[in-house]
Amino acid sequence: MNVITVDGLSKSYGKGTTKVDALSGVSFSIKQGEFVAVVGASGSGKSTLLHLLGGLDRPTGGHVHIDGEDLYGLKEKQRAIFRRRKIGFIFQSYNLIPVLNVEENIRLPLLLDHREPDRAYVTDLIRTLGLEERRKHLPSELSGGQQQRVAIGRALAYRPAIVLADEPTGNLDSANGREVLELLKIAVRQFHQTVIIITHDMNIAAEADRVLKLQDGKLVSDSHVQAGAGRRSV
Amino acid sequence: MRSYVALSGRYLKQQKRRTLLTIIGIILSVALIGAIGTMGQAIKDNMISNAKYEDGSFHFGYLTADMMLAEQLRNNVLVDQLGGMLQGPETKLSENASAYIHGVNADGFDLLPIHLEQGRYPQSDRELVVEQWLLEGLQGQPALGGKLTLNDIEGKPREYTIVGILKNQRKSQIEQASKVFSLLDENAESTKSATNLQLFVTLKPGVEIKDELVHFERLDDKFETNRELLALMGQSADNSLNKALLIIFGTLIGLVVLSTIAVIYNAFHIAVLERIRQFGLLRTLGATPRQIRNLVLREATMLSLIAIPLGLAVGWGGLWLALWLMIKNGFQVLQMESFKLTFHWWIMGLSVGVGLFAVFVAAWLPARKASTVSPVEAAKGAGSIVRESYRRMRIPSLLQLIGVEGKMASSNIRRNRAKFRITTFSIAISITLFIVFHYFTQQSLNLSVDTTENTKIAFEVYPYSGGFEENRTSSIPEDLDRLSAEQMEQLRSIQGVDEVYGMYGSFGTETWVPQEFANERYLDKIDFAPPTQPDENGERYGISTEFRIYDEARFQEAKPYLVAGTADPDRLAAEDAVLVIQTVKPFVLQSNKREQLEITRYKVGDTLSLRTNPGEDAAPIMREVKIGGILSQSPFDSPYAESVLVAIGTRSTITKLYQAAFPDEGNPNFLLTSAQISIKDGADAEAIKSELESFISRSFPGGAQLVDIASERQRERQFALQMQIFVYGFLIIIGTIGSLNIINTVQTNLLLRRKEIGLLQSVGMTLGQVRRMASAEGVWFGVIGGFWGIGLGAAISYLLYKQINDVQGIPFVFPWSGALIATACAIAVGLLSVQSPLRRMNKASLIDRLREE
Repeated sequence: MNVITVDGLSKSYGKGTTKVDALSGVSFSIKQGEFVAVVGASGSGKSTLLHLLGGLDRPTGGHVHIDGEDLYGLKEKQRAIFRRRKIGFIFQSYNLIPVLNVEENIRLPLLLDHREPDRAYVTDLIRTLGLEERRKHLPSELSGGQQQRVAIGRALAYRPAIVLADEPTGNLDSANGREVLELLKIAVRQFHQTVIIITHDMNIAAEADRVLKLQDGKLVSDSHVQAGAGRRSV
Repeated sequence: MRSYVALSGRYLKQQKRRTLLTIIGIILSVALIGAIGTMGQAIKDNMISNAKYEDGSFHFGYLTADMMLAEQLRNNVLVDQLGGMLQGPETKLSENASAYIHGVNADGFDLLPIHLEQGRYPQSDRELVVEQWLLEGLQGQPALGGKLTLNDIEGKPREYTIVGILKNQRKSQIEQASKVFSLLDENAESTKSATNLQLFVTLKPGVEIKDELVHFERLDDKFETNRELLALMGQSADNSLNKALLIIFGTLIGLVVLSTIAVIYNAFHIAVLERIRQFGLLRTLGATPRQIRNLVLREATMLSLIAIPLGLAVGWGGLWLALWLMIKNGFQVLQMESFKLTFHWWIMGLSVGVGLFAVFVAAWLPARKASTVSPVEAAKGAGSIVRESYRRMRIPSLLQLIGVEGKMASSNIRRNRAKFRITTFSIAISITLFIVFHYFTQQSLNLSVDTTENTKIAFEVYPYSGGFEENRTSSIPEDLDRLSAEQMEQLRSIQGVDEVYGMYGSFGTETWVPQEFANERYLDKIDFAPPTQPDENGERYGISTEFRIYDEARFQEAKPYLVAGTADPDRLAAEDAVLVIQTVKPFVLQSNKREQLEITRYKVGDTLSLRTNPGEDAAPIMREVKIGGILSQSPFDSPYAESVLVAIGTRSTITKLYQAAFPDEGNPNFLLTSAQISIKDGADAEAIKSELESFISRSFPGGAQLVDIASERQRERQFALQMQIFVYGFLIIIGTIGSLNIINTVQTNLLLRRKEIGLLQSVGMTLGQVRRMASAEGVWFGVIGGFWGIGLGAAISYLLYKQINDVQGIPFVFPWSGALIATACAIAVGLLSVQSPLRRMNKASLIDRLREE
């Protein structure tokens, strides 16, 4: 079952001679439980794609369907609520709220929805992330790897349909990067989630089920990776 | 944490400094609004009780009434109190003093300005109250409880018991005629048949006096209202005073609100800018714009909850403390024996309402900004948080003159239009606020308070001369000063005496003013035409001129009022020059008020031409005298003459002038006739008085009259001092609010650029260069804010001036002094407030700052 369907997605900035096509006519679909890496050089449109998948920006053309819902057919407020419930974000620079502690940062999307979090699930999540000892710590008291784990926790707190990660290991050393990647893979397996990750790191891309390659705003390759068996282009 | 809204509280706690600054801003504003309201009310209450003290507390009266009218009024349901007074014949008490008995009923003592020094009011027609000075001049000096025989209302001698002593009045002392009061016997035949009964009426509380006046006016034609009191109570037909007060206080409160909004807006705006990524992040997590807006507005609510009650307490407490200190230091606050700071719920309610309004208006825009943050900006992570559109400047800034730092500063100032506008606005509003308050308070001080040296004069000594009182023997020949220079010095040496001023004769004549020096505006406004005479350039006008003589001490006091020229008596005498006062305050019929105008337009060095023989037919003899200096107002007596030009000279100059003017009349003998004695603040008036009495008995065998106006003058002087204390207190609070605003603005402007400044340092900018750059920005914001603030301040001052001018005509003076003080302070505060963030920045590691987001 397709959880994401992208159809002719375009985004351009500026007008006339200064017009830049960040993304033009990109189409693909992703099934539930897939772990997808998006690769490409700087300026190839990776981040733009991620923002459009997350409903953060507006496309100039095309559609994004998530769980059957046309993301850009929703009003601003509905899209915000949709994002809250269906999409989890992980950023390169962690982006935690500095005045909230670990547990509060993780529970934040639920709190925004005025919902009592499922305590057992949150506890489970915190344990999985290895943050039990740090529940009451503020972000400034954590290492980079720990902060990114909190960000993963936050992204998973609402059990979203998809998790979008923008260079989640970019600020981390290789050991911590490895750990974060493992956690994301666990998420795919344990919570049966769909993860889309943007990365420069070909080692990370190699861990993915599928790699989308962008170049100058266009999708130039879409390859499925079979465990241990190299790459199969479609 | 149970809800996302707890984020507001967390942030406020984390940003303690900014929270504190915002809270202080709100506290000060609410305190100021409350204090302005309370003070406005207190000043009005005080003006009412002052009017009651001076003119009596009755609402209206009848000057020649009879008992019939009295009965009619007594039976009127609207009438509350009815005072009655009947004047009796004169009683000669000595060669130069007489008394007039007045019968006053019990209500009358309540309603009329009869002020007891000690004792009580009469309770029978055999008791009386009398002024102190009158008793002192009587045989045996009767005291409280003593007996005094006077002609009663019917003219028959009657022995009265003295039950009360009244405060001394200057007028009665100089005229040597005093009113004494006994209880009016309403059943006596003389009262029943009297037709010159004076009646004084108050209406019951709650009655709309102004609606009823017309009915009472019909009862008798000798009807008079207590004009000033009714005007203050808002009960006179002409309600312009209350309207003007409302507009003035409304404008002042409006300005305070505006500056509060600026302070709070700044604080919130910056708080939002700092967290713009956090808000963006919340948006990526699915927060709706409304949720984000609510977060900011919730912060505003929390700050209001803390700051507004504190503001009310500080405003009320501060005012109470100020008054308490003044009372403790022996002041009679605002002329009253005990000052009651009346508590008004409406003022408290207004302060809370206005405070909340200011906070929410100020928080609204930043809240909206936060809610519209693009989540993409947050997701992008790196780079500038706020997109800045750098504007190339059309006009090169003066700052560029100080090198690269100046160039950096000038482009920093203009790089973000919104930030530039906010910063300029909040500095400009602070400056505006100060200018307007400064202007308004100075004007109201000038109008309400007698600032001339008069307020210090407590005693006057009039030695009797041989020729002055024929039946006295005096050692002073007629053509000599009544007080010698030595005696003046002796007076000066009495402990507690501040200065001794001589009083001389004066003379008046007409000055012929050529058209170029005449003021057309003045001539248009007055309702009489001065005589004219043709001259080579058209016409000249005969303007009445009074020539006064000042001694050295008086010239000394004139110096502060000097607009141009010199007030040095030696120089004036050497050049035979005079000082002139051209400012007059005539009653202008067309506007139905007194207006301050210039009667002529002379400058220093011009000459006055005196027409010296007033005969109609004879060719006029002209005598010219040079103008050595111009005074803004008279340092003594009333500050402005009604419609005469005043010229002041030394005795030799004025004598020469007179002799030249009236050659047939010989030596005018402008003698020193008496001395006015001013005393130091806080000096013991009683001790000085007894010193003066012994001085008089030692120095003048022929005797001298001692006029005692110490208590009257002390009251006026204290009123003036208190008004000044309040005015300057207000200005200090206003200055604090303004400075706080500027500090907040300039500092945050800098703190937001920590990373950028770190970057500049990393490419080799020294700390000194950073400091020069930041200082240049601080100063330049002061300059630009000053530019707009002066314009706006002058415009609003002019609006206030229009209101004041409706009550009493005064000329508009551009508020230069307030403008200069405010701008200088703004620049200094701007300069100083960049220093501490720079110091803190310098302590933090460069690497950390570069990593900051």
